[in-house]
Amino acid sequence: MATTTWGWLILACPLAGTVIIGTGFRLWRGRMPGWIGTLAIGLAFVASVGAFFSLRNHPVEHRQLTSSLWNYAVTGGIDAKLQILVDPLSVFMCLVVSGVSTLIHLYSVAYMGSDRGYARFFGYLNYFVFSMLLLVLAGNFLILIVGWAFVGAASYMLISFWYRRTTATRAGIKAFVINVVGDVGLVLGTYFIFRHSHTLDFLATFKQAPTLGASHHGALVAGMLLLLVGAFAKSAQVPLHTWLPDAMEGPTPVSALIHAATMVTAGVYLIARMHPLFEHAQAAATVGAIGGCATLLIAATIALVVTDLKRVIAYSTMSQIGYMIMGVSSGAYAAGLFHLMTHAFFKALLFMAAGSVIAAMANEQSLDRMGGFRRAMPFTFACFIIGGLALSGVPPFSGWLSKDEILAFDATRGGAWWIFTVLGYLGALMTAVYTFRMIFRAFLGDPVPEALELEHGHIAHVEPPRNPATGEEEDTDVGFPGPEHHIAEREWPMKGAMGALALLATVGGLIQIPKVDNAISRFLEPAFGDSRFTHLEPSTAGAWLGLVVGAAFGLIGIAIAYRIWVQNPGFATRLRERVPALHRFLVNKWYFDEAIDLLFLRPATAFGRFAQSTFERLFVDGTLVGGTTGIVRVGSAAVRSLQAGLVRYYAAVLLLGLTVVGLYFLIQSS
Amino acid sequence: MILAAAHLKGPHIDWRSLSPLLALAGGGTLTLLVGLFGSRFVRAVLVPLLTIVAFGAFVGLSIWRFHHSASIVAGALRMDDLAFVLDLLLGTAGIATVLLAWRSRAVEEAGHGELHALLLFSVMGMAVLVSAQNTITLFVGFELLSIPLYVLCASELRTEQSLESGLKYLIVGSVGSATLVYGLALIYGATGSTDFGPIGQAISSGSIATDPLLLTGVALVLVGLAFKASVAPFHQWTPDVYEGAPTPITAFMAVATKAAALGIFLRFFDVALIGTQDTWGPALAALATVTIIVGNVGALGQSSLKRMLAYSSVAQAGYMLGGVVVGTQLGVKATVFYLAVYLAMNLAAFAVVVARERETPWRDDIRSVAGLGASRPLLAWPLTIAMLSLAGIPATAGFIGKIYLIDALVDGNYAWLGIVIVVGSMISLAYYLRVIAAMWMREAPEATPPVPAVRPAMAGAETAAETTRYPELAIVALVFGAASVVLGIVPGPLFHLVGHAGKAFGGLF
Repeated sequence: MATTTWGWLILACPLAGTVIIGTGFRLWRGRMPGWIGTLAIGLAFVASVGAFFSLRNHPVEHRQLTSSLWNYAVTGGIDAKLQILVDPLSVFMCLVVSGVSTLIHLYSVAYMGSDRGYARFFGYLNYFVFSMLLLVLAGNFLILIVGWAFVGAASYMLISFWYRRTTATRAGIKAFVINVVGDVGLVLGTYFIFRHSHTLDFLATFKQAPTLGASHHGALVAGMLLLLVGAFAKSAQVPLHTWLPDAMEGPTPVSALIHAATMVTAGVYLIARMHPLFEHAQAAATVGAIGGCATLLIAATIALVVTDLKRVIAYSTMSQIGYMIMGVSSGAYAAGLFHLMTHAFFKALLFMAAGSVIAAMANEQSLDRMGGFRRAMPFTFACFIIGGLALSGVPPFSGWLSKDEILAFDATRGGAWWIFTVLGYLGALMTAVYTFRMIFRAFLGDPVPEALELEHGHIAHVEPPRNPATGEEEDTDVGFPGPEHHIAEREWPMKGAMGALALLATVGGLIQIPKVDNAISRFLEPAFGDSRFTHLEPSTAGAWLGLVVGAAFGLIGIAIAYRIWVQNPGFATRLRERVPALHRFLVNKWYFDEAIDLLFLRPATAFGRFAQSTFERLFVDGTLVGGTTGIVRVGSAAVRSLQAGLVRYYAAVLLLGLTVVGLYFLIQSS
Repeated sequence: MILAAAHLKGPHIDWRSLSPLLALAGGGTLTLLVGLFGSRFVRAVLVPLLTIVAFGAFVGLSIWRFHHSASIVAGALRMDDLAFVLDLLLGTAGIATVLLAWRSRAVEEAGHGELHALLLFSVMGMAVLVSAQNTITLFVGFELLSIPLYVLCASELRTEQSLESGLKYLIVGSVGSATLVYGLALIYGATGSTDFGPIGQAISSGSIATDPLLLTGVALVLVGLAFKASVAPFHQWTPDVYEGAPTPITAFMAVATKAAALGIFLRFFDVALIGTQDTWGPALAALATVTIIVGNVGALGQSSLKRMLAYSSVAQAGYMLGGVVVGTQLGVKATVFYLAVYLAMNLAAFAVVVARERETPWRDDIRSVAGLGASRPLLAWPLTIAMLSLAGIPATAGFIGKIYLIDALVDGNYAWLGIVIVVGSMISLAYYLRVIAAMWMREAPEATPPVPAVRPAMAGAETAAETTRYPELAIVALVFGAASVVLGIVPGPLFHLVGHAGKAFGGLF
């Protein structure tokens, strides 16, 4: 089978899943929709594997294959086609996305088991995976934009999945609005590029990259900066990150899928995909790297103080995406994508484990109320530890190898790029601290009542159910979470998915060990072969030194966390009291929400009010709408009584118009 | 005298190229005669069928002559691909109108034979108009399309509004015709020719491009044609006439008259007057701007669907004028493309309005479609699609049409007019979405008519009448609704078709 046929199959499976689940939702009973959805994504993964092997049969220089299904509009300077590009990069992304998504679907089959919107959930979930795969397989800017917008819409639907919860709908709207800002950036950026390249096709555009960089450098940089706006909004990078923590209102599998493994990596993919253009617009690439670095530090500091279990992981996601954005922006493409892969494994694992804990706590997410789950949930605890070690970069877990490869590359690039390496290690230290703060607070210490109850075999329930964020009373009908809670210890699909991810998080990094196997770099070579940074490779000694330093920072961080939260339980409180201003600053998330509110929302609202009170009420309502309908009303009254008068009025306007037009032409004639 | 006349040599006539027009003329005569038969079957079934056959022949012959461009009847008519594509649209509109008018009150009151014959002759006038290559033919076509329309508007003989609409159209229309013919005379005076080709040569070769006589003529022609295309400020008749006329006739006027008027706009301004494009371009652009604003703002407060669609058709005329303004092949293509999608979306909308007018006591008020989504999804979907397409939502034909027009405008250095189109579309969302909201989000109103016309004893009969379904209306709505989506997703074939139409004007860029 042709390689591109596999590519179309990758797209067809989740689409078929969406349609089958969506149209037959009345027919499906029990967990049927979940299994259909899992099967559809599983088949997409199989197709990705097929594409992978098929691609390897091609000679290295012919591994970028395009296929278009039909021409949407191919006329006068526009070449809009339904076109996919199957190359090592897109196949790599497909493998990660569909592979991790399959496991998340499997987990959701059990986790969402009692929810009244079960079929709807899997319909959305399949649609989301379809959109994401469309995004990564896109062969031209048009399909990229379509996939990009679909992903935004799908994430809105999934975050607001419990649509009767006001907090969830508000979070969904926030995510959607910020994503639309990114969409606008992406579309405008595309326009800037298209204006000079005259083609939407990726490969044709990339061929022109050197000439574009030389002749239209300003436009290219502007276009790339606008693309970065898109990438930053989708990947939750500062200052367009505020939607991600709020998005934790969605069901936990959604957090795992969207906010760990797939959607937020779209920005990383975009930069990697556009690397030929970015390399000729170094200013934009530098902005990207600085943004990524700033995000990784800011997010890590916030994660140190946040008390909501899922939000800690969310900020950690932002921080890790920051590493990837920094990596691909500075030219470490393979390293950035390698980290993307390992991060997908361990972060999905952490979210799933967190979901298990939250279920045991009857939807309570606050770390302040958790503790001592070690004995009650040994499997979840083990998964959390594995995910945490991988995230902290402790050998031999996967995050250790991938994160340090990015930092080693920046060090090799030299010059000011050294700063990124240093700040990256600082971020790594904080990562270890906040990760293990979370683990120690949730699992060690004295068991809370919920943990004790679970040790006796009962899962905690709150009657009536409440919104954990606001305490509002809820019911368990559709639009709210279901009545039952499911934990990994009791549900084999959850256990299976987490076990597989735990295995991958442990050994997944070993496929790319510096100077040993480099499997990912070699596979991605055809996609990034044209890069001017291919020759930049850290020396063996440097690479291993980096790994040792990274491991040391990870262990030191864990030790610090152990001292603060296990050995000296009161120390954290004392620390907080000693620097209250700093703590307030971090707890308020660096006041980004407030700054956006002050800078954009308030002026816009004020302007809107002003415009409504003056322009709209007086001019539009009064003069335009009121005026015309008034004339019409007066006119139709006149029709009945005085018909000749009205026609005379028409004729008068006709003559007036004629006079104006005639005068214009007469003035032109002289 | 008789001998002298015998020596006059008539022009050579290429009957094959003329055949589409002959089909209409023959069909018109035949339906008029057949309509005289007393049999109910002949009048109510055979006549409409014959009309459809005539329109079918017209379309078929146009397709047959495709790619066979010819100037016929001593250069009076130019049968080229632009004319054939527009003929295709006119024939489609004619067939749809027959279906919409079948079983309507207008056709019963005015007589089947008469109404259908008038319809055929009106379309013939339009076909002559879009092929006109001579100011005389232009005027003949113009009148041949107008006079049957005046009568058609008044064809609901017992409805005061309909008669009023016909009369008003006649009076204001005569002013328009007079203006047009006056302008044509002045142009003849300035250039010494009635043929478009020689007029164009006279303008481009001599120094008369700024001649006051010529330009006054251009101004008057512009106003005359603007009147027919309902371009503001010469549009005031449109809402009144559209509202008063029988709805099938309104639908016909909205799509076919517009296609014919814009067709002759393209042909006259882009062929004969292209040499003065610098002069009329800005004037036409200004008129287009006024039209877009007036049409969209005027539609905002309307509760009558027909009035709303009338104002919307004014606004859409403004959009399409953009393709004329630029005077390029791309502009021609964009205008013709938009005419085609405009036909599809308006016919879908009008078919639903006709259906609801017959089914509910609310006539064409917006209340007639309230709750339609739940009760009649097969009617609600086409109307929804038509409204979205008219507003220019992506994945509909209207979106592609607008993009194409804006592309032509940007290409022709009238980017600001493209922005006006976008702003106009934004305003238009307000009234298009209102219809959609009424259909899907509101409950159907209590079935009490605004005027207590139904006596209690009639209630049973009324229910029986309401259960009469009009499958032909649903079919028209569904076909054109589907076309509005399909052309938005697969616009390729239509691009291809209008590409030929654009090439008809070899002289343009």
